[in-house]
Amino acid sequence: MSGPRGLRSAFRGWRADRPFWGGLLLALGGGWILLTMKASLKVVLRVGMQGLAGYLLPTLMVLLGLLVLFHPAQRLFYSLTGVLVSLGSWLTSNLGGFFVGLLLGVVGSCLAFGWLPDQEPRLSRRARKRQAAAAAP
Amino acid sequence: MASSPDVTPSAEHHPENPESGSAPAAAGTTGAPVRRGRVRARRAAVMAVPAALVAATLAVLTAEGALGVQFAISGMPFTVTATELNGTGFEQFGGLDSMAPGSPNEGDTGGQVLVVTSAIKNATLTKLCQSVDLGGTNLLITAGSGAQKVTATDLTTDSTELSGDASFDNIEIGNDASTLTKAGVKGPIGVFSQQADTVRIANLRQTNYATTAGVFKLPGLKLRFSDSGC
Repeated sequence: MSGPRGLRSAFRGWRADRPFWGGLLLALGGGWILLTMKASLKVVLRVGMQGLAGYLLPTLMVLLGLLVLFHPAQRLFYSLTGVLVSLGSWLTSNLGGFFVGLLLGVVGSCLAFGWLPDQEPRLSRRARKRQAAAAAP
Repeated sequence: MASSPDVTPSAEHHPENPESGSAPAAAGTTGAPVRRGRVRARRAAVMAVPAALVAATLAVLTAEGALGVQFAISGMPFTVTATELNGTGFEQFGGLDSMAPGSPNEGDTGGQVLVVTSAIKNATLTKLCQSVDLGGTNLLITAGSGAQKVTATDLTTDSTELSGDASFDNIEIGNDASTLTKAGVKGPIGVFSQQADTVRIANLRQTNYATTAGVFKLPGLKLRFSDSGC
């Protein structure tokens, strides 16, 4: 029960309780898009609302990714919004951070959407069939 | 999907209890295997397939020039070339761009770059090529090499170098930058500027430092990595 090992297993337990990779990838995708467009805000304001949307969408991606991590109960809503916002960033933010950020965001949203809590350890299809056969008679 | 037997066992489970989640993990080492959340592939595919379709549609529409996309690249200098640029509503004025304090790109510039800001209300570009040096490799975007040309609205670029063969209609040189009217952008007061009704630049080559921002329509879009820039 030393410090680092206790922390590690606590982190593993925390991670098992939420769509960890989904949220992380979605947040990273938003961060990457923001990184590719650190244009001075002065110019963006001069260009107007369209320029501002380019910042709004990746910021939403970061927020939704963090929300998936820290409030996984609402992950369906967050991931649905996340995938739409990620796709929208293709139009507003440098082709979705030159495609990289868009890909991270969509993959992250899908992982968060497909995640289910508290699953039995997965059995291979063959093992499942064998079990069914054993239960049948 | 919802009728899949994999989904039902967890339907009532509430995932929001991190403390109790770690306790069974410790207990799980002695008894039954640990129960933990996981991604069900088919469930994820329900979202992944339509999302991939939409992404592909967006890419195709952009490449056909039916959909405009917006660019605001910066922090790194990038090069734009085009064999011909035609524009209406042209303004140009000087300015000073500041980097974020302590930026690694500062070098010996003291964190400030003298730039020329050009604004064009509506522009048409032939054989657009844009490259960003990512250190070792270049990200290259080309478009408009076919019959359809690249069009841009509210194109604003801050460049350190601009070359080409230019001709202007109704040019006014020496205005104050704060009184410009042709492209809807105003510069700082007391700065030299010029504006024109139309502009035509052949063999355009720009090194842009801070920004372009505007809606681009990019027919024949190609995005790739390359050893050499434009």
